[in-house]
Amino acid sequence: MLFAYAQLSLRAFAALFAPLFGGKRWRLSALFTQMVNIGVASMPTVAMANFLLGIVLAIQGAGQFQKLGATDLVASLVAFSILREIGPLITAVIVIGRSGSSITAELGTMKVAEEIEALNVMGIDPVKFLVVPRLLAMIIMMPVLTVLGEGVGLFAGWLISVTSLHLNPIFYVTNSIAAVEQKDLFTGLLKALVFGGVVGTVGCFYGIQVEGGAEGVGKATTKSVVTSLTSMLAADALLTTLIYFT
Amino acid sequence: MSETNDDYILEVRNLCRKFGSRKILTDVSFKLKRGEILIIMGGSGCGKSTLLRHIIGSLKPDSGEIFIGGQEITKLDDRGMAKVRKRFGMLFQTGALFNSLTVGDNVALPILESSDVSSSIAELVVKLKLELVGLTGFEHLKPAEISGGMKKRVGLARALALDPELLFCDEPTAGLDPVMTSVIDTLTVDLTKKLGLSAVVVTHDMTSAFRIGTQMIMLFEGRVIAQGTPEEIRNNPDPILRQFINGDADGPIPLKLSKDDYLKRLMQVE
Ligand SMILES: Nc1ncnc2c1ncn2[C@@H]1O[C@H](COP(=O)(O)OP(=O)(O)OP(=O)(O)O)[C@@H](O)[C@H]1O
Ligand SMILES: [Mg+2]
Repeated sequence: MLFAYAQLSLRAFAALFAPLFGGKRWRLSALFTQMVNIGVASMPTVAMANFLLGIVLAIQGAGQFQKLGATDLVASLVAFSILREIGPLITAVIVIGRSGSSITAELGTMKVAEEIEALNVMGIDPVKFLVVPRLLAMIIMMPVLTVLGEGVGLFAGWLISVTSLHLNPIFYVTNSIAAVEQKDLFTGLLKALVFGGVVGTVGCFYGIQVEGGAEGVGKATTKSVVTSLTSMLAADALLTTLIYFT
Repeated sequence: MSETNDDYILEVRNLCRKFGSRKILTDVSFKLKRGEILIIMGGSGCGKSTLLRHIIGSLKPDSGEIFIGGQEITKLDDRGMAKVRKRFGMLFQTGALFNSLTVGDNVALPILESSDVSSSIAELVVKLKLELVGLTGFEHLKPAEISGGMKKRVGLARALALDPELLFCDEPTAGLDPVMTSVIDTLTVDLTKKLGLSAVVVTHDMTSAFRIGTQMIMLFEGRVIAQGTPEEIRNNPDPILRQFINGDADGPIPLKLSKDDYLKRLMQVE
């Protein structure tokens, strides 16, 4: 199982990078379709989730900091946690639920309908044809969605702080900027990139190995979502540790 | 040991395959000469589609050999198999069209993928192939918008897109009306006569089997119980074969559920 997953991922990444070394070009139209499916369609949900979490973070932070008489710190708390952790994480959770699952269901349905076998028979590599556009779209769109989500989350934190916590709108912004380093931004984006790779490969893997009709598609989709979530969290823990100690 | 006569485009030797503990194919052997049409007959579930899947390399046998154009394929890796597959086309039992692509794009797909032809040439070839199967003007519909029989015909057009040497058809005429069946049969015969194509056709339809077949084999529970020319098959006294060809309800072919069986199962408490 793990071996098969590793094998598919290796083949997918090899095919993905092949065009950079003179291989056949990416199919741009397929990539574009997938970027719309995976990315653009997820934007409202991602924005909504980050907005709500921005509010929650600010209010909970304010509750704690008020006891210390340091409500100004809300700005740095929000900025720091959204950029480093919450933004990439919640965005990935949404993308797994929306797009990771639909990749598995779509490829699984194609498998059941003999479409993947038909590709093989026509001499078309399903990895190049189906997996690469989805994986690449995931890897591109996850950071894009993350940046969008982070922006919305930061804005929500600012909005609630200014309106309900009576913080100075300008100070809040300068405090935020002072609190974060470039490294925080890059940490978040690096995470998003890795999450994109994980979600893309896991979603495709479970889709392609579906057996046994509609029931098999349903089971594979569930497994895909669960595996994506746990692997994403594991990758998060690993990256956080690595970055902390370097 | 792997010498084959070049007259034979396809040869299957002692093919065996189990799924779990169920023997699906047992010691299947046959040969197909270039330019001939081989009919595979047999009841539902006897392993016809499974046999085709082995020949196209989607499944690997437990034992036995398959030669296509003299080359043994059961031990080939993906890359080797891809080369062999360029020489044949396959019509799947369910059509296996890509639901996200239009009919025209489905037929164009193998053309555009296999070579650097321009899309206008591909479009022309698509028109020609769709005309062959009587579907001119349906290019822009999605598979979900056409009937089951039409999907079959699109599948056939796609299988023919690259002018294969060897054509595999899994029940090409199931779900087609008698006129369309006859059109597809004539097309298959024409292709073999004019272009030297060889074909393996799985069918339940005895009229069309005897109309187009030059060689026939009958599968029963995963074994070849009869093979020969249509003449030989017609005169074969094997009772199973006779029952199948005549479509009699009574005979040696066991029904999966006889009445007694059915009652017993109903009464059984698990
Ligand atoms: N992947 C598989 N795993 C396990 N058993 C299978 C598999 N594929 C087919 N079988 C079994 O093999 C047997 C033969 O199936 P196959 O599809 O080859 O039948 P068929 O002769 O094409 O029937 P039909 O005329 O209905 O299409 C069936 O009993 C089926 O249950
Ligand atoms: Mg079948």
